[in-house]
Formats: sequence, structure tokens, C-alpha cells
Amino acid sequence: MTKHLIKLKVNGEPYEVAVPPNKLLLDVLREDLGFTGSKRGCDDSSCGCCAVLIDGAPMLACVALASSYQDCEITTVEGLGTLDGLHPVQSGFADGGGSQCGFCTSGFLISTKALLDRNPQPSLDEIREALSSNLCRCTGYMQIYESVKLAIERAAARKAANPAGARS
Amino acid sequence: MSMPAFRLERPRSVAGAVSILAAHGPDAMILAGGTDVVPNLQMKLFSPRVLVDIKSLAKVCRLSAIEWSPGNGLRIGALSTLTAVCESLLIQEKFPVLARAVATIAGPLQRNMGTLGGNLCLETRCHWYNQSEFWRKSLGGCLKLQVSDALAGKEGPVCHVAPGGRRCWAAWSGDAAPALLTLDAEIEIAGPAGLRRVALAQFYRNDGMDRIALGRDELLTAVRVPPRMAGRRGNYRKLRVRNSIDYPLAGVAVSMDVDPRGVCRDARLALTAVNPAPLLVKEVGEWLIGQTASPELIERVAQQAIRTAKPLTTSGSTPVYRRDMVRVFTRRALEEAWRETAGAPV
Repeated sequence: MTKHLIKLKVNGEPYEVAVPPNKLLLDVLREDLGFTGSKRGCDDSSCGCCAVLIDGAPMLACVALASSYQDCEITTVEGLGTLDGLHPVQSGFADGGGSQCGFCTSGFLISTKALLDRNPQPSLDEIREALSSNLCRCTGYMQIYESVKLAIERAAARKAANPAGARS
Repeated sequence: MSMPAFRLERPRSVAGAVSILAAHGPDAMILAGGTDVVPNLQMKLFSPRVLVDIKSLAKVCRLSAIEWSPGNGLRIGALSTLTAVCESLLIQEKFPVLARAVATIAGPLQRNMGTLGGNLCLETRCHWYNQSEFWRKSLGGCLKLQVSDALAGKEGPVCHVAPGGRRCWAAWSGDAAPALLTLDAEIEIAGPAGLRRVALAQFYRNDGMDRIALGRDELLTAVRVPPRMAGRRGNYRKLRVRNSIDYPLAGVAVSMDVDPRGVCRDARLALTAVNPAPLLVKEVGEWLIGQTASPELIERVAQQAIRTAKPLTTSGSTPVYRRDMVRVFTRRALEEAWRETAGAPV
């Protein structure tokens, strides 16, 4: 199949990559651009492991054609924080036991980030609803909900300490 | 799984999309949110030569707008995401049955991608069809998915749900359509001759293989609900294995107009996932008009709903259970709608 040059903006950086029209965003992120944080789980849009933010909304990269999302801001789990400066969502999951085998974790982090961006103080029901597209076979979800609560506290503390410059 | 090869078109106008569709006929397929089409492509359920990605049209021609006016009613652009529909305060307030039904579709990630138009044009589903290519070939295909004669055997492809029959029973598995049927919705369809409007109830053929009355050169552009349906109480009840992500195994939508004394002025009931089409339950509207809630009346309506439901073994759940849940859900949805209107706590 003929490849076409497409432009993607991932984690704030512009990329140009030659891909065939049937290439999925997940595969372009993982194979062409090296963002292997997004995982291929079910491969049919029902597990949430491949979640990325597209213009701020969490979506499934495994059912998205890369060529369709050229004009969008894409954020993968790699775009959330750095090793020295974890995003509150990342440190919440790390310390709250929200990750065991880790395969689903990047999807949960993306869904949680999107939730807290929209609603910094969600109720437990709102957390459960926002994470209801993400499947985890290890934790039983309780540690994940606790991790999200930890992330909420840490994000609030960070915002209180630095009201102007806090990254969401 | 892997994707089949195709050419991707990203038209800039509705007319452009229609002309691409017209030029390629059965070789072209429309792609919107992708949550139904892409997994089906990966399973090789179909292999279009040209995929027409209409997401590029979201910002043109009000294709993703949700608008209301007292004169014209509600108009929802077909590319509105399911999230936009179920989170719309306007829809929650004026057409609660629609907001509630759409909020049950898959999960939040899928609703951020999937569109209302896509949910209304969903492919029908069957246990024997929505399987990998290897699985289907091992079975020798089915009516809906024909395989080569050699694989199918002497008798040709058979329906594994109703062997001997020539009808495909793959189940209609959308949640938005039953809600919109109870609201007397119309849809706008763009084609080579321009726009046409058709009642949603006329859109579905009740045939698992040929599910919707949409020409190969046509595009669903909007959904309209008449203003007289605004303010009706409504409920949607859905049977599924998990409380998220899953398609419905049965679903019941109810819309009611009830006066302050609790007398029903008008009511509609529709079912999903228990036939190859979403279907209005006939006659119950007349039975309910002028009546107040009573267990006998509600049970009679629930029995009529069961007569409309013809679930077969198209899913992992049994037809007996799905039919019985139609009765239970009808009763609960009606009772709740009645209580809400009477101003009592739900």
C-alpha cells in the first residue's frame, strides 16, 4: 500500500511520518515514534490499554487511524511527567498500589488525567464512571480508586503551593 | 489482528463525501468514530476498497452541532460524539430518555469517539458473525458472512441461529435508536439528489444482513426530534454482562407524557437487542392513554413487549433470560417514568 506523509503532534512535539492509510494510531505511536507506553490489549476497543488524549479527551488509539488525527494534539502517557517530576496522577498510582503487572496502567493514567483536568474533585462514583472503559485484571480496582484519591490530594497540594504555575 | 488494505478519503464537504460514495458504490464504506467499523475491519468482516473518513466534516454544515428551538425542536448533527449527546444539559433536561440511553453506550472512552450517527447505523451483531476470520472459516461461514462454496459445503451457507431459515437474525445492538424511536425522531440523509428526511422507524429493515435503508451513495447527517416531545419523562433499561463497555443483550426505552394527576397523555415503548431492528412496541400507546398507573396495566404492557421481542441465540446470553428481562425492564421503566412525572421521589 502506498505510504503517505502525515503530520502528528505528540506530547507537544511535531512529527512527520510516512505511513500507509490503514495504519492505526497505536501502531504509529509505538512502532514509528517509539511511544511504547500505550499498550495493545484487547485490540478491539474494549480494554482501554491503548488510551491516549486527543485534544484533551481520552480515546482509544487501537481503533483510530493515524491519518485521521493529523490536526490534533495527542498526549501519551510519556507526556504526563518526567522521571524527576512525576505527574500527581503518576505518583498517586505509584504510591497507592494502583499498578501491579502494569499493562493497563498507562490507560488508567490517561483516563485519570482527563478526569482530573475536567473535574479536580470527583466523587467516587465519578471516578468509577470515568475509569469504566479501562479494564485491570490484577488489582480488583480498589487500589486504583485509592490511587486516584491520592492523585487528587497531591494535585490539590501542588496547586495550593504554586497556584499560577501548576501543570495540570 | 491486522487491518485490510484500503484507500482513505477525507472529504471536505458533505457533497464531496456523497460524490466519493456514489463513485465507488459497494466498494466504499463510511468511517466516523471508528469504534464499530475499525474492529470489524480488523476481523475482516468486510473489506472496502475505499474508506471515507467523515470526521473531517465535523465542523462543517453543523454536523457536530446540537441545536434546539421551540419551533423546530431538537437537531443533533450526526457527527456529535456520544459524550456530547449524553452530557448535553439541553438533552438531559428536555429528552431524558435519549441522554440516559446514550450514557449506557460502551464506556467513556468509546463515547468520546463514537458518534450518534454511527450508533444509529451500527452493524448488527451475532455470536456466529463477530468472530475472527479463522473462527468463521472453520465454521463454514453463515448467511451474513458468506465464505467460498468449498468451505460452506454442499448446502451453502446456513444460519447457525435458525438452521434451515433463510433469514439473518443478527441482533440490532444500538442503544440510541430505541430512545429516539420513543421520541418520534426523524433523520436527515444526504444523497446525490440533496437532503431527504425520513422517520427513524422507517430506517430499520429488521433484517440482520440488510439492516438500514441507507443507499450506498448516502450519508446520515442529522437527527431531529419534534418540539412536542420535549419535556417527556423517559427511561432506558439495558441488560449486559458488565455494567460498562458491553453491547446490550436487551434494552427497553420508555417516553411518557403524564398530567399532574398522574394520567398518561401519551406514551411510547421501544426495544433493542432482541430483534434485527430496534422496534416500537405496538398498541401500548393506546392502552396507556387516559390511564393512571396500575400493576395490572403495567403487566399487560410488559406482556405485549415480550410478544415484540424475538431474541434468538445471537449472544452468550439465553433467549429465555433476555425475553424475561424485557418484561422486567418494561415494568421498571414504566413505573419509574410514572413516579417521576407525579413529582414523587424516584
